[in-house]
Amino acid sequence: MTGRRPDWMHPAFRLIEGEESFGWKELAALPVPAGGIIQADRPSRVLAAVAAAEAAGQGLLLARGVPDANARDADCQPGQGFSVTLESSGTTGTPKRLRHDFARLRGRLRGVADEGARWLLTYDPGAFAGLQVMLTAAAAGALLVAVPRGSAAGERPAGGLVAELAQMARRHAVTHVSGTPSFWRAFLMALGEAELPLDAVTLGGEAADQPLLDRLAERFPRARLRHIYASTEAGALFAVADGRAGFPAAWLDDAPDGLALRIADGVLEVRSPRAAADAVDRQGWLSTGDLVERQGDRLLFAGRLDGLVNVGGVKVSPEAVERRLLAVDGVADAAVVAVPSPITGHLLTATIVPIPGADEAALRTALRAVSADLPPAARPRALTFAEHIPLSAAGKKSRKGAS
Amino acid sequence: MTDSIFALIAEELGRIAADKGEVLPPLTAGSRFLDGDLPIDSLDLATLLVVLEQRTGQDPFREGFRQFATVGELAALYTVPA
Repeated sequence: MTGRRPDWMHPAFRLIEGEESFGWKELAALPVPAGGIIQADRPSRVLAAVAAAEAAGQGLLLARGVPDANARDADCQPGQGFSVTLESSGTTGTPKRLRHDFARLRGRLRGVADEGARWLLTYDPGAFAGLQVMLTAAAAGALLVAVPRGSAAGERPAGGLVAELAQMARRHAVTHVSGTPSFWRAFLMALGEAELPLDAVTLGGEAADQPLLDRLAERFPRARLRHIYASTEAGALFAVADGRAGFPAAWLDDAPDGLALRIADGVLEVRSPRAAADAVDRQGWLSTGDLVERQGDRLLFAGRLDGLVNVGGVKVSPEAVERRLLAVDGVADAAVVAVPSPITGHLLTATIVPIPGADEAALRTALRAVSADLPPAARPRALTFAEHIPLSAAGKKSRKGAS
Repeated sequence: MTDSIFALIAEELGRIAADKGEVLPPLTAGSRFLDGDLPIDSLDLATLLVVLEQRTGQDPFREGFRQFATVGELAALYTVPA
């Protein structure tokens, strides 16, 4: 492929991908089709393919993993001009595909003005959040540091992808990191005491809990700390920058960014000028499916409405229980998962990653104490200790049990 | 035979009871799970099955529910490694 540099890519933009380095010249030389389906395993391939599809006025489908037999040319919307279709990160069944108008993808970009920023790409390059980070870095003329994924990846250090990201972050002295709370917990462990002076720390994709926000503020005192709330249908909704979990309850009366917020049956509803028109009711309201609960002057996220599981006739939220465990001293990370049970339908189990040197027996006692006031069905059973918690391709914890 | 599974069930039931501050009475193959013989409820029994799967790698209920009422009947659902 040859061609002119797209107007969304700053001439100073550089991409470091493992041991390779790319500017526009190197990206333009990559062999990618002008539209159609590509495997989105490397940011270089994704950026080159987006530029080629745009130049040719064709639709592009970014496939996560190897494109399956269900991916057909029809999914790229041929003959309808340039667009980018992304796949959801569903862990089971056929992934959902969502077509994005490129102008709208770019229109969501914010905070691009940081000169000399060095971004670390923690998200999958085929994910919405990954594309946002890549386009942000490209537009700002920043450096983007990434590691190849999937089959393109070589040998990983012990500790997997996050350990490799931590090594790359230090080697290239990155300044801006955006990732899921699950990524950040693993990243803090992988980093240990190593020096990494960050300017910007961003969390998204899962609810950010207070203990993690506190640890990040302490570990990166210079950094701007923000957590972003977004939903699939409504896109990016708001950013919270005061270092506290959840968001101010006062936003129910006066929300930022042209938004309106309300709570119906414990579920957060939004009215947003940026919501897709076909996802809202006649008054413009959209249910986010996220449960919220009020605590003082704050509204806290309490899991997904569709994430509730039935344990012996009681509806419980694995995420809400997980948040309690994460607040226990000596817990570096925790995952609460519902496993099927022939006796009670489901049962909550917990995997705990202790901080180094933690006393396991004392930790067990503390973990039991923190869930003692929950209904018995909501208490996590079968506590297992582990060195790390596996994350999905989207950098989130898998919520349902495997078996 | 199923002696090692029986011992495993006794060990884990003892742990589950101890977590609740209960003491398990002496266990026999005829001890019945949910009708008052043992200080456990259905959530405890569900927990026992999850722990047994973690420790044996076997899930006898994968294909659907199989009837059991006593410790001996449950032990018989697991195959003993040679």
